[in-house]
Amino acid sequence: MNSLPSAADTRGSTLINHWQSGVPVNRGRVLTPFLLFLIGLAALGLVLATVRFFSPLGPFSGMNDAYAWGVWKTFNVMTLTALGSGPLALGMAAWVFNRQKLHVVMRTALVSGFLFYATGLLALGFDVGRPWNFYSAVLPWRWNSESAMLEISICMPLYCAVFLSFEILPLFLERLYYTGNDRARDILRLIAPTIRKVYPFVIVGAYVIPLMHQSSLGGLLLLAGTKIHPLWQSPVMPLLYLIAAVLCGFAFTIFLLLIVCLRYSRDLDVGVLNELADLLSGVCFVFLAIRLADLIWRKQLHAVFALDSMSLLLMIETGLILVPAIALRIPRVRETPRALLNMSALACLGGMFYRFIPTSIAYMPAYSTSYFPSVPELVMAVGYIALGSVAFVLAINYFAVLPGEASSWDHTFRPFGWRRHSVIIATPVPSVPAAALERGV
Amino acid sequence: MSVNLNRRQAFKVMLGLGGTAVSAMLPKPTQAAEEHPAHPIAPPDAIAMLYDSTVCTGCKACMPACNEANGLPADTLLSGGIWDMPTGLNAQTKNIIELYKDPKSDEFAYVKKQCMHCLDPACVTGCPFGSLKKSDWGVVTWNSSLCIGCRYCEVACPFEVPKFEWNSWNPKIVKCEFCYDQRLKQGMEPACTAACPTQAVIFGKRDDLLAKAKGRIAEAPDKYFENRVYGEHEAGGTQVLYLSSVAFDKIGLPKLGTTSLGHYATKVTSVIYEWLSGPILMAGVLGVAIRHNWNRHELERLEHEKKTGFPDQL
Repeated sequence: MNSLPSAADTRGSTLINHWQSGVPVNRGRVLTPFLLFLIGLAALGLVLATVRFFSPLGPFSGMNDAYAWGVWKTFNVMTLTALGSGPLALGMAAWVFNRQKLHVVMRTALVSGFLFYATGLLALGFDVGRPWNFYSAVLPWRWNSESAMLEISICMPLYCAVFLSFEILPLFLERLYYTGNDRARDILRLIAPTIRKVYPFVIVGAYVIPLMHQSSLGGLLLLAGTKIHPLWQSPVMPLLYLIAAVLCGFAFTIFLLLIVCLRYSRDLDVGVLNELADLLSGVCFVFLAIRLADLIWRKQLHAVFALDSMSLLLMIETGLILVPAIALRIPRVRETPRALLNMSALACLGGMFYRFIPTSIAYMPAYSTSYFPSVPELVMAVGYIALGSVAFVLAINYFAVLPGEASSWDHTFRPFGWRRHSVIIATPVPSVPAAALERGV
Repeated sequence: MSVNLNRRQAFKVMLGLGGTAVSAMLPKPTQAAEEHPAHPIAPPDAIAMLYDSTVCTGCKACMPACNEANGLPADTLLSGGIWDMPTGLNAQTKNIIELYKDPKSDEFAYVKKQCMHCLDPACVTGCPFGSLKKSDWGVVTWNSSLCIGCRYCEVACPFEVPKFEWNSWNPKIVKCEFCYDQRLKQGMEPACTAACPTQAVIFGKRDDLLAKAKGRIAEAPDKYFENRVYGEHEAGGTQVLYLSSVAFDKIGLPKLGTTSLGHYATKVTSVIYEWLSGPILMAGVLGVAIRHNWNRHELERLEHEKKTGFPDQL
């Protein structure tokens, strides 16, 4: 074993301002046994996806005519893109509501969000029965403009392929600047000011479009009408789906930051985490207030306390959101990493419950058969998640994603490859001052 | 907190607010007809089927007639490969006669199932690329070259009619299309009504059949359940009408509201997305805020870079 002497365990005691910029992980092995396991899972999922492409859906999955949407749509898309809404939630807070502190964790949110969307779209691509007809998406005269499904099938790929990709572009350019040759640097110096110029305009689209499709995901379920239990079926579902996405976006970003920073022994930052926890708690309260008002307005309060399985499910869901909402108002909880981790995990689960239940558990068609995902279906669903996780681990190792102390990074990047690097391999720092690129000199 | 605006920014804000106010006050062009009214009215040429469960003898003559007209294979799974024995509507069955029998009393009834051809169909509202559409005479048809196989129609249909070919590599959506291409276009009535020996299911204009059904109710009060026609108002009205002496929900016709699902699902979004005004307005508001914060951020960034030597990261 070539394990490095890990940094002293200062978790919890050093919550001072430690996050100044994105810093790549450049110590330790990349290819850990756990990552190999994840790669195996992802490969298995992708092999099955290939088989699925040449096989009909029926024998491959547990879906049937009553439950026409299986776990790929209800979990990988409906539920996990809520977790991937970090770029929307944090970006809106940072750029629209001027929470400047959050800029430093934007990259973590962006990379995770991009991967959730990309794997969700991959899942969708293998879920639809006639993907070869999807070219209609670029023929506007074929669009049925009143369909929520149309909105999603156009906006989601657009968001992922254009807006999120643009927002993570600086990661690649930055790496190229520090590891590339002079010619590359010259080109980058040329285009850097342009990127800075168009950036504020592009991010307007990057927030409007997810606002549209995250609410449309709830809008999809309106047409299902009485098939969905009245505790969930409601005209405000689009709004609640959007708020749940923002809630999950904040909660998952906190969760991910804590997990990864603890894994790579990074110091935490009380200022940023406090800000995030504050916002998360606020969003939780907004969600619960709208949920309660909606249940009262639709006169469904009696069903909440009916104590049947659906009402218990609702209580669990509400509890999972209410506990962090209250707990995160207490400064001591916010400043204790362990409590913050637990509370953000609960909020994540609560938001995911709200997004998942109406599509599956509370989805009760009259001629109900049963649905449980088949083994290949589940392996594929897990495979997509594993694929995203592998990509995230590689991203934080090879790019400046995770927040850290600016002084801890001497602008070295881990070189690409699977070799073991027991020492930091320093690439020569370019003679041009780093700030020059960004200033567009 | 006070917001410091220079003259130019103040003008911009005023322009934005003014534009919003003006667009709200301007008279909207009066629309000829709402896209999804809560209670749609059938056009005068709408065709329909009237099925009277008290007349049906359960001979199932309509089923092979349907299979023949639509070129569907017999569903022989249960009968061991001998004859057509579907257990419900499925990818090989667009039309079926089902028997309801109360295990305690001797109450029983037959019921014919097929697409209800709603006046405002949820499947058509949801279909992203218009593969399912309302064709001539109000018939709901499916177009294979536009369907992406998302199966939203199966989720949306309150009667659970559209079926998906789960066992096909090139799956189609299978549902009754009123024999649109096969017979209606040639001026013939659908195969099932043509084949029915007892006139339990009859074909005609929706208005005529509705009047006929109400006539039957008037002739024999208390014969029919709730003295009403199922499909007159259900889910905004359907173009298949039912009469039955047994409760509708017992024979598998779900209890539904009278509002069309399309109205319920699009009444808010159709306002927000009208000419994309909602998203454009949102983009304008966000754009102003982001621009403001961006400029502030740029000043801070230069100061920060001068002080620390570390570049700002996007």
